[in-house]
Amino acid sequence: MTISAGALAWLVSIATLVTVLAPIVLVIFWIRDLVKGRLW
Amino acid sequence: MNSMHSASLDATTGWLILAAFSVLWVILGAYLGRRSVGLEGYMLAGRKVGMALGTATAMATWVTSNTTMAAPQLAFQMGVWGMLGYSLGSVGLMLFAPLARRIRVLMPTGYTSGDFVRLRYGKTTWRVFLLISLLYAFGWLVSMGMAGGVLVNALTGIDYRIGMTVILAVCVLYTMLGGLRAVIGTDFLQTLIILVGIVALAWLAITHVGFQRMHDAVLAKRPELLDLLMPAAIMFLFNNLLFGIGEIFHSNVWWSRAFAFREGVGFRAYLTAGLFWMPIPVVAGFVALTVPALHLNVPAADMVGPLVAAKLLGSSGAILVFIVVFAALASSLDSLLAATSDLILTDIYKGHFRPQASEAELARAAHWMILGLGFVAWLLCLPRLTTLAQLLYFMGAFVASTIWPIAAGLFWRRANPRGATLAMIAGTGLGLAGYFLIGFYVAALISAAVSMGIVLLSTWLRPDDFDWARLAVTSEGRS
Repeated sequence: MTISAGALAWLVSIATLVTVLAPIVLVIFWIRDLVKGRLW
Repeated sequence: MNSMHSASLDATTGWLILAAFSVLWVILGAYLGRRSVGLEGYMLAGRKVGMALGTATAMATWVTSNTTMAAPQLAFQMGVWGMLGYSLGSVGLMLFAPLARRIRVLMPTGYTSGDFVRLRYGKTTWRVFLLISLLYAFGWLVSMGMAGGVLVNALTGIDYRIGMTVILAVCVLYTMLGGLRAVIGTDFLQTLIILVGIVALAWLAITHVGFQRMHDAVLAKRPELLDLLMPAAIMFLFNNLLFGIGEIFHSNVWWSRAFAFREGVGFRAYLTAGLFWMPIPVVAGFVALTVPALHLNVPAADMVGPLVAAKLLGSSGAILVFIVVFAALASSLDSLLAATSDLILTDIYKGHFRPQASEAELARAAHWMILGLGFVAWLLCLPRLTTLAQLLYFMGAFVASTIWPIAAGLFWRRANPRGATLAMIAGTGLGLAGYFLIGFYVAALISAAVSMGIVLLSTWLRPDDFDWARLAVTSEGRS
């Protein structure tokens, strides 16, 4: 049973999209913690 | 293996990047660590780390050289299941979330995972646990030190031993200067670099090769990599899941963060880090599937990631991957140096040799522990003995045996010391037998299964009645 090109593309694309979101969310967390004085 | 032929950066550029980032990490580490007060400040960053830094440090520490370099290696050897199996490593982070909350509640003044095992199960179990934990820590340290040398050699042609020495020395220096604050603070920046770099490489691989061309070439030359029923790869998937859980549940790298995070942060930080970590091995690993389409000659499987990047993107790709893997290495090496030195300081030095040591003495000793640990790791890295994945999975038998003793010890009053000790010893022994007799991909699987059976059976036959208050009261008595 072989994975199709379409399924491989879907898998990698979704993974890439989530990985793009990660640094954005981290920066939002960082700003929120900084504003609330809860960074450290 | 002659990696000089594949090196796409000249040594001067390599040295410039190494120097620039080394200076950045050391200055940043020293700056962040300047406010560390006392032993608790140095070892646990004052126990007030917030959500942003908490999530980033969990992610960065788990994105190691083993993700950025071994994920492509495993995709190259095991195909789709190789990278999917690797991404199951994130389950360990997510499952640790409730444990982190429990640890913070039960042991508000705890320092190490060894503290917990000693107080929960007694000295015999504690010593068995320390042996496993320290072996694992050295295995991980050596695997990352080796990865540093391999990376520098593959991308610049600089001698393996010189590259490895520089990377280890830089991490030791800034961890010594700033303690856990330096580690966690640099982790945030390193996480952003890693994520942006991995996405950039993946995007360029997709646009340069394309999924259809990649798929057709793999199907023609290495069809087994696209096989969803590859038995060894499926075994690897489950093995990796248990290996990841075992690594996280027992290691002081993760426990020290549970102690260091601000109250209420641990659960959310570990859960979020796990969710965002899950796709990273796929994004970092799939580039190895472009090898057949690119007609690339890969002299050693653990160099496939850097070689593909260099082939695809030339010198700019080599620079990018160099920076990403340096950040990944540093983010894990610093964490491991700090957490392992904490374990040696608290559980070996103070626990076994200097029980009356003052806080000032321990604070001084903490710096020397980091230096000594770095030196020993350097010695072990000098001969490049094995591939990264082999070294990594040898440890699976050890760490998977700790999953049940740790989890049951945190949540079940009835889990008993004898069962925990036997579970770790028998799990490790039979897991190692599986490693040598069957293959690396079953070591953690066998170890965890044996350990589970013993913990469940011993808890049922000889139930204990542990008083949770003993964890909090006794740990408050520490210096």
